[in-house]
Amino acid sequence: MPPPRTYRAESLVLKSIPLGEADLLVTLFTREAGKVRAVGKGARRPTAKLVGHLEPVTAARLHLSRGRSLDVINQAETLNSFRSLKTNLTAITRGLQVCELVDGFGSEASPNEPLYDLAQATLSAIGRAPEDEFPLLHFQLHLLNVSGLMPELQYCVGCRGNIEPDRHRYSLDGGGIFCPDCLPDQAGLRPLSLRALKVLRLLSRSSPSELPSLHLDAALSQELKSILTGTLQYWLDREIRTNSFLNQLARADRG
Amino acid sequence: MTLEHLPSAAPSLARLIQELNKLPGIGPKSAQRLAYFIIRLSDEEAQDLAEAINAVKQTIMFCSVCQNLTDVSPCPICANDRRNREQICVVEEPMDVLALERTHCYRGLYHVLHGVLSPLNGVGPDQIKLRELFARLRDGHIREVVIATNPTLEGEATAMYISRHLAGTDVKVTHLARGLPVGGSLEYTDELTLSRAFQGRQEVE
Repeated sequence: MPPPRTYRAESLVLKSIPLGEADLLVTLFTREAGKVRAVGKGARRPTAKLVGHLEPVTAARLHLSRGRSLDVINQAETLNSFRSLKTNLTAITRGLQVCELVDGFGSEASPNEPLYDLAQATLSAIGRAPEDEFPLLHFQLHLLNVSGLMPELQYCVGCRGNIEPDRHRYSLDGGGIFCPDCLPDQAGLRPLSLRALKVLRLLSRSSPSELPSLHLDAALSQELKSILTGTLQYWLDREIRTNSFLNQLARADRG
Repeated sequence: MTLEHLPSAAPSLARLIQELNKLPGIGPKSAQRLAYFIIRLSDEEAQDLAEAINAVKQTIMFCSVCQNLTDVSPCPICANDRRNREQICVVEEPMDVLALERTHCYRGLYHVLHGVLSPLNGVGPDQIKLRELFARLRDGHIREVVIATNPTLEGEATAMYISRHLAGTDVKVTHLARGLPVGGSLEYTDELTLSRAFQGRQEVE
């Protein structure tokens, strides 16, 4: 039996680009169907029923019709506009990075409910603490987990032996930590301090609603970002675009 | 689309189709339709079209002050002494200047950014005309910057970036009111717009 012509989907709006005179081409990540590209007809007109509901970083319940190449959005109702996130420039950029990464790791016609829930919880956590960098770091690590790419952080990937403090190395393409005896002969090998490893292990056990309240000094924060961003970029096979603006804002904050 | 994809078309026609296909929103089929329309134009009409394209490329430039598109620099708005020279209204695109001028509500100057900050698309402060805006503000004559970027997430991010940059200066930063559009409907309005409309409510005169 063919699928019904119309369907409802709980969606996170990842990005939208103008299409034609007044339409929007929207990339959604839906709980029910994974990534979907759909058209919001007339959604750029100020009085359109859809306007405002299809902004990036918005969770909305949508009613869609299946099209040959693109689905069409008939109705939209905002479930969460993440209002507090949208009052802070750094928080907006972090929220956009969540959307960029969900777009990169999500697949069309392949639902991933844990990823959907993780993204929603992360956006709420960023809104609760706009200046805190933990929600995004937590998201980056758990995104690898729900995508089946979680790096090994407890034992050596090669021999399953215990990790020796400060002698281990992290491999981007080898899948986690290696002891000195098992170092693979490949690029993407980098040092990982014991402090950073402990924070990563702590983050891997935390939920977005109960994140650790740690103070990260600049060096540790930079190391964590570098490891996680490097791993994500390795799997994405491209740069994370929102990173350069996020780094620019961080530099401006440091004065 | 490449010339090889149009083996049966004459080379000059294929080239025209290929050039038209580069325009935004024009796909291969539309490009073919436009090309055949141009062929059916009279010689004078075709010449007028070609001259208009040529003239616009020869004469249109960025205004050295506001970055709007103009054929004289400074543009007529920047050169007009009767405009309020203490106010700058910041807009995304040249079309936004025309829209605001049609209201006859604003008598200050403009600054056209030619885009908005778009972290998702890798557009940062250096890719739009923000440096030129901040340079204009350094001479100290400007008292107010009115931010009139679109009420989208990227427009808001751009407004916040400008506001952050000007924090601690004497320049007052304002933005256009957010809320319900004329002819809109409460029932279909999203919660963010409604909450902003509520915050910006005004006494009924």
